[in-house]
Parts: sequence; structure tokens; C-alpha cells
Amino acid sequence: MRRKFTSHAIGAIALLTLGALPVSAADDSAIKEKASVCAGCHGENGISQTENIPSLAGQPDQFIQWQLVFFRAGSRKNDQMQPIAEEITNEDIRNFGAYFSQMTPAKAAHDNDPDLSKKGAQVAVGLRCASCHTDSFAGTKAVARLAGQREEYLVKALHDYKAGARVGGGVAAMADVAYHMSDEEITAVSHYLANFK
Amino acid sequence: MTSMFHRSVLALAAVALLAGTSVVNAQQQDQNRALKKYESGTKEFWTHPPDDWFLGDETEAQKGLAPPSGPPTGASEAELAAMMKKIKLPPGFKIEVYAPGVLAARQMAWGDKGTLFVGSFGLGNVYAIKDNNGKKEVKTILKGLNMPTGLAFKDGALYVIAVDKLIRYDDAEANLDKLGDGKVVYDDMPSYAAHGWKYIAVDKEGWFFLPFGPPFNVGIPPTSVSQIRRVDPKTGNAEIWALGVRNSVGGDVDPRTGKFWFTENARDWVSDDLPSDKLNMINKIGEHFGYPYCHQGDLPDPKFAMGHKCSEFTPPVLNLGAHVAPLGMKFYTGDQFPAEYKNNILIAEHGSWNRHKYQGARIMRVIVGPDGKNAKQEVFASGWIEGDQGYLGRPNDIILAKDGSILVADDWAGAIYRISYSKK
Repeated sequence: MRRKFTSHAIGAIALLTLGALPVSAADDSAIKEKASVCAGCHGENGISQTENIPSLAGQPDQFIQWQLVFFRAGSRKNDQMQPIAEEITNEDIRNFGAYFSQMTPAKAAHDNDPDLSKKGAQVAVGLRCASCHTDSFAGTKAVARLAGQREEYLVKALHDYKAGARVGGGVAAMADVAYHMSDEEITAVSHYLANFK
Repeated sequence: MTSMFHRSVLALAAVALLAGTSVVNAQQQDQNRALKKYESGTKEFWTHPPDDWFLGDETEAQKGLAPPSGPPTGASEAELAAMMKKIKLPPGFKIEVYAPGVLAARQMAWGDKGTLFVGSFGLGNVYAIKDNNGKKEVKTILKGLNMPTGLAFKDGALYVIAVDKLIRYDDAEANLDKLGDGKVVYDDMPSYAAHGWKYIAVDKEGWFFLPFGPPFNVGIPPTSVSQIRRVDPKTGNAEIWALGVRNSVGGDVDPRTGKFWFTENARDWVSDDLPSDKLNMINKIGEHFGYPYCHQGDLPDPKFAMGHKCSEFTPPVLNLGAHVAPLGMKFYTGDQFPAEYKNNILIAEHGSWNRHKYQGARIMRVIVGPDGKNAKQEVFASGWIEGDQGYLGRPNDIILAKDGSILVADDWAGAIYRISYSKK
């Protein structure tokens, strides 16, 4: 899925909306303008409407920052994100972390397949997802929020880890965990987490 | 050159089966668990370690003690300046920031012409720091390597160890902007990340001591890991120098005897206060240091001792404390510090990741003779911990500078510090 980052209309809306947010570390207009570029793909208010693009709203501050640092260093590879991340400073990265982490995360919609969620819940217990992602799956520090994330994006992320296309943080926990997962487990746990309330 | 490690490793690896969620005491619970077995003779074991390699043995009371994560962009210069005021040192010593902006900084090595090379952890960067009339210029010279934590410099070449590859970059200081892909000189190493990051200590003959950690917390290690090897970077020849070693990420050659001393991180999830991390010395080639049968010289493993007695193994020179995470270490051979520091060992402690109240994150001074007897330690530099589970920084390596001061790498704050001494 390719989209241009210069969606001015969406960017402008994002800018207006963001004006009302209590973003203490990111309240200069420069970071808002920079974040408007993100909105083109990641959605207004950090909630993605685009297939295979994650929502950023409510992701932990450090998680956002680490991913940007990984994109910039080239240790997380993505054709769209890498050239953008190469341009941004440490200060921008800190501001983006503060900015997106304070947005209200997406609310899970009505669960259209509770049985699949039940299976997914068992997978999550078996793999100890909550050990790092916390019992509410809101994530913490460098660990991502999963609750309410786009379902097909969670599937994609787990397949990326499983295939070794994404290695995760320093201790590579996700790559090790996902490697042993079956397609059925990935489908179920992604459904469960996307619908987690 | 192909990897051949899986040929020689048909041993079975056994690790503890996951616990339920009972709240009985940790040791009792540990003993009630059955052993789970991994077939380490398969190639898959060597490309993908057990998914529970750093979590999985924890009790309910220990749940949630996941690895802490530092600020991704390191500490700002203002934060570093404030931090320096909080660091406690013995009288006459001074700490200052040598270079900020060295994200995830790990092992350091000096080039012959005064370039300071610095490795990193998950970021995959290697840096070169040049001194331009007192101003430090930090340059990223290599990117995208797999945990390039260990470095050495020898005969004009920079050596980087990135988990399963020892890579040589010739004439490095003249080619900082175009190091190229280098040449892999040794790769008989497992490719996984689990305890796969390494440290390089160069001995008097130019061979490298390299640690090989087991791909789990505790278990019977396959025969090619839980050891220290001595590798000749010229030929790729290797010798196994120590067995029964868990996760070692630091060591140095004793300037008095040529013997190799190393730090070792003990197993997790016994308790907050057991077992102790260690300082070891290899007296003769092939010694066994106890893992996984015996910890800290006197604590048989609740399950893996399996009849072994601690007296069968080489005891530590010194128990450093539980969960202090000793990493890089150096013998102090300079002339700037007071004379009583000569040949003392300075150890950078990274600090706890899964203790309820963090300890470590400081620099220890170990006073010990060449025979390793009657070692004692005292705190040299501290102040990087705030509250029960907060870090300002995490020291992980030490290197001597020409003037006899020391430099300290901190991968949490992403900075290098300088500690110097002057008589008042």
C-alpha cells in the first residue's frame, strides 16, 4: 500500500484538531507541522484508516521514540519510514513520542467473532504477552500498545517478526516468540487484541 | 566460511518448564516443575532459541520485571550536566561528560592515532569519536550490524564482533568515511541474539578472548556455548579456555600474569538476593566455572545441580552481588590515579533488570593480587540509580585513556564520561 505523505487536506485538519491537545513537550508549531505529515498515512488524531498502517494514538512515548530511532538507524526497515526518519533530530523524536502518546487510542469496535477472540485469549496467555505488554495490553515504556490496534496490522507485524523481517528491540523477544506461532494463532491473537477492551 | 557449530552440539538442552501461577515460595515452586527438553541437534534450535529464554522462569511475584528501556535518544546535554553533579566519587576524583550523543554506547577501543571507537547494542551502530581541539566529534561509521557490542583495535584494523561474525576493517582510522563491508575472520558462532552479544579482550599474543552465552536463563548448555574461547583473528583458529560460564560480557588480561579475568552474570529468577554475579580468573585452560550446576561458588542449583557439588568447580575470585550485572572491566595500569589503584580492577556494573529494588549501575573497585586470593571490593563511582527502579544511566564499559584517566560508556544515557584524578 503506497500513499503520498503530502496529503495537505488531511494534514490541515490534523493541525487544527491538534491545536486543542494538551501536548506540553510538543506545543511548538514546528512539531505539529511535522506531525501533519504523519497524518497522511497514520490518520487524523493518530488513528489509522489505512490498511497495514498502524495507529499511533496512545502508543507509549518510549515505544514511538524507539521505533523512530530504529528506522533512522536502519535496524527497522521500511521504504516509507526510513527516508522520513533519516531527516529527524533527537529533539523531534522526543516531541513525536510525547505528541502521539498523549492522544486517545482507538476504541475497539463491536467484536464480530467472540469465539475467535476466546481462542486468541488462550494464545496470549500461552505466550505470556501480558508479561511485557501489560494486562490491559496498553503497553508500557518501550513495549507497544496492542489493544485496539488495527487487526490486519497486528497480523502483518507478527508475520514480519516470524519471517525475521523485523527484529524488535535489543533482546529480540518478539522475533523469538513469533517464530513459533502458527498462522491460526496469529489470526486469533490479532483478532483478540484488536477487539480488546 | 560456513558456520559449523551445530555439528558438534548434539547434546540435549534442558530447561525448566513454565510454571503456573501459584504463589508458593519460588524455590519450592521451581523444584516442582518438570524438566522440558530441547533438541539442540537441530538447526532450528540454533537459529531460533527458546522463546522463553529470558522470561518464563519467573514466579508470580516476579511477573512484570521485564527489561527496562532507556531513553531512545539518550540523555540531553542539560540532563547529562545535571547527572554529573549527582555522581559520587572518592575525594580528588572528578567526572565529566566526554562525549554526548553516543546512543546505546557499549565497548570502547582506542585506535593508534587517537580515535575512540564505540560499539552499540540493538541500534547496530559503531561510532568513531575524534578530538578536534577539545571538541568531540561523534561519527557513525557503521550501521545495520547485528548487536555490535564488542570491539578491538589491532595492527591498524578495527575488529567488530556482531553476534556471529568477527569482522575486520583494515586501516580503519584512515577510512572512517568508507570502511566498507570488512572481512569476516571468524564465524563459528550461533546466530541468535539470546546472550549472543559479545565482548573482546585482546591478549599479549594478539588472540581474542570471546564469551559464548547459553540461549536461555538456566539449562544444560549445548556443548558449543557457556564457554570462553580464545580466537586468533589472523587464522580463525580457536581454543576453548573456560567451560560452565553463563553470560559474560566483559574481561581483561592481567598485566602482571597474562591471565584472563572476566565478569559473569548469574542466572535469574531465584530471588532478589541470589545468586551473586561473579568475577572469575582462568588459572589454566579448560577450567569449569560451575554453570548451571553451581552458582556463586557455593549454591547448588535447585534443579540443575543433579548431584554435582560446588567443590567440583573453579570458585569465583569474588562474588560481586546479586543482579548487579557486571560487564566491562579493566585493570588500572595508568599513573594518574593514586598509587594504591595500580593493578586494581575497575568494573562497570550495568545494574539490575529484574530485581524489585535495582542495584549496580556503578563502578566498583576490586583490590586483589595476581593469585586472585583475598579479593575485596568497594564502590568507586555511584549515583546512577534513582528510587527503586529508576536509572539516570547504566555504565557498561571502561577504558583507560593515555593520560591515566578512565572513560566510561553508558548505553542508557548514550554518553561517554571521563573520570580523572588530581591532588588537591
